[in-house]
Amino acid sequence: MWQLVLLKNLLKGPATEAFPFGEATTPAAYRGRVAFDPSACTACRTCQYVCAAGAIHFEERPDGLRFTLWHNSCVFCGMCQHYCVAKAIHLTTDWHLSHEQARKYEMVEEGWVPFRPCLQCGELMLPATPPLMRLAYRGDSKEIEALRHLCPKCRQTRAAGRNS
Amino acid sequence: MSSLSRFAGKSPWLYRINAGSCNGCDVELATTAIIPRYDVERLGCQYCASPKHADIVLITGPLTTRVKDKVLSLYDEIPNPKVTVAIGICPISGGVFRESYTMSRPVDEYIPVDVNVPGCPPRPQAIIEGIAKAIKILESRS
Repeated sequence: MWQLVLLKNLLKGPATEAFPFGEATTPAAYRGRVAFDPSACTACRTCQYVCAAGAIHFEERPDGLRFTLWHNSCVFCGMCQHYCVAKAIHLTTDWHLSHEQARKYEMVEEGWVPFRPCLQCGELMLPATPPLMRLAYRGDSKEIEALRHLCPKCRQTRAAGRNS
Repeated sequence: MSSLSRFAGKSPWLYRINAGSCNGCDVELATTAIIPRYDVERLGCQYCASPKHADIVLITGPLTTRVKDKVLSLYDEIPNPKVTVAIGICPISGGVFRESYTMSRPVDEYIPVDVNVPGCPPRPQAIIEGIAKAIKILESRS
């Protein structure tokens, strides 16, 4: 019997992972570096609220919002991804985050979410993103697409006018 | 002695300082050392028990106020040249304990850190990657 075990072990090769001399295995569900998609973000700031480590920060400026996530205080819990309705934030499987001290403050994920002018009155506002509209209305229509680019006030006026 | 120091980078000795860690990163450090799957000794490293023998210092934990003086005196005992690696987000930024009254400021305000390995805790391969970077720095210093 022991010959069989010996043969098996010989065929299996070493149990040690080749890394750093070769590739390392990474599980598909591994929670690594955070990726942010500003085009899908609606700036609800839920990610900032649920962030256990306080790594996510939104800075509001007159013409938009700046999203910042510092990987050196992120605990990779994945709560931001879990609670993001617009699917703008997700954790990739990239775990190559070790870095020299000089690059300490470069380990950030940034994104710029610009305000857009309302098509009717021109007031700056943040339109709902297509993924969010699909989630809310289960599909796009011309009417919804037109309403999407209006500020809440103009939307209200148009909706009231349509019904009367 | 100078001719010997050329080889120091080939066999650096690791020394682990727990600066108030939750033990998560320490478990991952133990994993890199004793589990054949990761095996940090392939890089020529070995964990040592005395700070006087160390070449690469691995610091875990957010540096609590109670342990701060002990960590600093221990760090001074390690002979130069030495390379410091901060393991986990706690020594790098304070991590989830950042605003606690029992924490000192991040480790790099007291100790010159060379390599950071973020994670909570970082996976063993990431720690090995960080140690590999530290070995390169050690080779340039010795």
